[in-house]
Amino acid sequence: MINVRANKQQVALELDTVHPTLVVRGEGDGFVLAGALEIATLVAAKHSLHWSKQGAKRTLDIAGLDTIDTSGALLLCTLRAKGVELTGTRAEHQALFDLICELDLKPIPKVGVVPEWRQIFIQVGKGAHAARKEALDVITFVGRAASWTANTLIHPHCLRPAAISRHVAETGIDALPIIGLMAFMIAIVIGYQGVAQLRPFGGEDFTINLVAVSVLREMGVLITAIMVAGRSGSAFTAEIGVMQTREEVDALKVMGIEPMQVLVVPRVIALVITLPLLTFFADIMGLIGGAAISQFLLEVSPTQYLVRLPQVVDGSDLFVGLFKAPIFAFFIAIVGCMHGLRVSGSAESVGRETTRAVVKSIFLVLALDAFFSILFEKLGV
Amino acid sequence: MTARAKVHAETIVSARGIVNRFGPQVVHDKLNLDIVRGEIIGIAGGSGSGKSVLLKTLVGLHQPDAGEVLLKGKPIASIGAADKSALIGVLFQQGALFSSLTVAQNIMLPMREHTTLPAKEQAQVAAMKLALAGMPADSGIKFPSALSGGMVKRAAFARALALDPKILFLDEPTSDLDPIAASGIDALIRQLNQILGITVVIVTHDLTTLLTVCGRIAVLVDKKVTVDTADQLVKSDHPWIHEFFHGPRADGAMQSRKINHGNG
Repeated sequence: MINVRANKQQVALELDTVHPTLVVRGEGDGFVLAGALEIATLVAAKHSLHWSKQGAKRTLDIAGLDTIDTSGALLLCTLRAKGVELTGTRAEHQALFDLICELDLKPIPKVGVVPEWRQIFIQVGKGAHAARKEALDVITFVGRAASWTANTLIHPHCLRPAAISRHVAETGIDALPIIGLMAFMIAIVIGYQGVAQLRPFGGEDFTINLVAVSVLREMGVLITAIMVAGRSGSAFTAEIGVMQTREEVDALKVMGIEPMQVLVVPRVIALVITLPLLTFFADIMGLIGGAAISQFLLEVSPTQYLVRLPQVVDGSDLFVGLFKAPIFAFFIAIVGCMHGLRVSGSAESVGRETTRAVVKSIFLVLALDAFFSILFEKLGV
Repeated sequence: MTARAKVHAETIVSARGIVNRFGPQVVHDKLNLDIVRGEIIGIAGGSGSGKSVLLKTLVGLHQPDAGEVLLKGKPIASIGAADKSALIGVLFQQGALFSSLTVAQNIMLPMREHTTLPAKEQAQVAAMKLALAGMPADSGIKFPSALSGGMVKRAAFARALALDPKILFLDEPTSDLDPIAASGIDALIRQLNQILGITVVIVTHDLTTLLTVCGRIAVLVDKKVTVDTADQLVKSDHPWIHEFFHGPRADGAMQSRKINHGNG
C-alpha cells in the first residue's frame, strides 16, 4: 500500500481539500484508488500505477475516491481509453466523467523550431526588410509633416496658437533648469580636461578657447537636443500614442480633421521655436561654466574672461550652433509624432514606440551633427 | 446547485464588517456577505457602488479599512500563496492574460509554479482546460494579442481553472461580448458549477447573467449588500433595486429567466 501525501509539509490546516491525500493499493492489473485524485496528487498517482504488460484485463476501482478534479478525471479518461476498466464510479462523479471524456481533446500543436543557422539568415533578412521599411516610413512622414507645416505657415488661420504655446511652455520653459544645469556641468567637464591636457605645454590659457568654442559650436546644441529628445520627443510619442489607443486619433479623422494638422504640426512648430531658444540659453550657461572654470583653475577673473571671449569666438561659432537647433528640433518632433501615430492597440506598444522614438531621434541628432561638422569644415565656416 | 452542495450548506467565503474608504468617500460601511459552498452568487450594483472593490477585497487584493474576509473560516491574509491559488481562481475583466506568453503557457503558469507535474502532462491538462473552456487546441500556441474579445475571456477562464479552484471569482465575465459569446460564457459558468461543484462569485451588470445563472444576488446599495434570490429581490420596495429589476432593460432578461427555468 502506498500512501501518498500531496504536500510534505502537512501543516495543521483546516483547509481539508487543499492538502489532498491519495491512497493507491494493488499491483499488476488491478488497482484501487481512494482519497482525492486532484492535480496535486496526479504525479503520485501516475508513478504508483504500474500496469503489468501482459495483463489481459486491467481494472481500477475508484469507489473510494472522494474528490476528483478535472485533471484527475482526465487521467481516468485516458486510462479508460487505453482499455482499463473503471469500476465503482460514484454517481456524483458521473457527470464529470461525461464532461471530460466527451471533450474533443487534441494536443496543443508544437511551434515549429527553426534551426539556429537558419535563424541567423532569417534575422538578417527580417532586419534588412524592417530597416528598409523604417527608412521609407521616416522619409514619407518627414515629407508629409513638412508639407503640412508649410501649408499651415502659408495659411496662418490654420495655426493653432493655443496648442503651440502650450507645447512651447512644456518643451521649453519647463526644461530650462535641467538644460541650464547640464550645460554648466558640461562646460566644467571640458574645462577640467582642457586644463589637465594643456598645462604640460604651458597652454592652459587656451582652455577658455576650448570651452567657449566647443560649447557654442557643439556642446550647447547637442546637450539640449539630446535632453529634448529624451524629454519632449518621448512625451510626444506617449501623448499621441495614448490618444491612438483610446481611438481619439480615429475620432479626429472621422470628424474630417487631419491628425497631421492638429497633432503633428503644432508640436513641430513649437519645438522648432523652442530648441534654438533653449540652445541659446544652454550656450549662455555653458559660457558661465567656462567663467567659473577660469576663475578657479586659471585665476582669470570674470571681467577678464568677458574681455577674452570676443577674441576667441566670433559670430560664426554661435551661428553654427544655433543653425543646427531648428533642424534637430524638426527631426526630434517628427520622429516623436511618427512613433506616436504608429502605436497600435495595446498600452505596451506605447512603451515600445516611446523607446524607439528616443533611440531614433538621438541617433538622428548625432548623425546630422556629424554631417554638419563635415559640411561646415568644407565650407570653412 | 448540485446535490453535493446542498448536503454541506456551509459558508465558504465570509466577509465580516467590511469598511472601505477612499478619502472622505465611504464605499462600504460594515458590509457583511456570506457565500455558501456550491452556489452561484451575483454581485450587482450601480456604477461606482464599489463592486470591483468588493471583489478585490474578497480575493485579498485590497486590504479593507476595517473588517475581515474568511475563506473556509481562515482569514485570507493567513493563507499561503500555493493554498490560495488552489482555493480561488479569478477571471479579471480584461482577461489579464500575460501578453508575453502564449495561451497554453498562460494556463500552464500556475501549474508550473504550484505543482510538480512534468511539462508534458501540464500541456495535456492545459489542452483539456482549453477544450473545457470551449477553445480549439491550436489556439494554445497563439499569443493573447491575436485573440478576439470572447476568446480572451475563454482563455482567461481556462487559466482561472488551471488548478481546479474551489471558488471562482468573475469580474464582468460577459461585458464587451456579443450575445452569442455571452450566452456561451453563461452556459460555461453553469456547467462548471453543476459538474465540478465550483462556487462562483460573479460581479456583473448583465441582467441576463444575474437572472439566469445566479442562484442568489447580492445587490450593493447604500454601502451595504442586500442578498436574496432574484424572485424575492424583484418584489423589493427599495427604489434602486426596484428600478434595477423593473427598468426597460430588465424585461428581456426576465423573459430569458422564465425560458431558462422552464427548460431546466
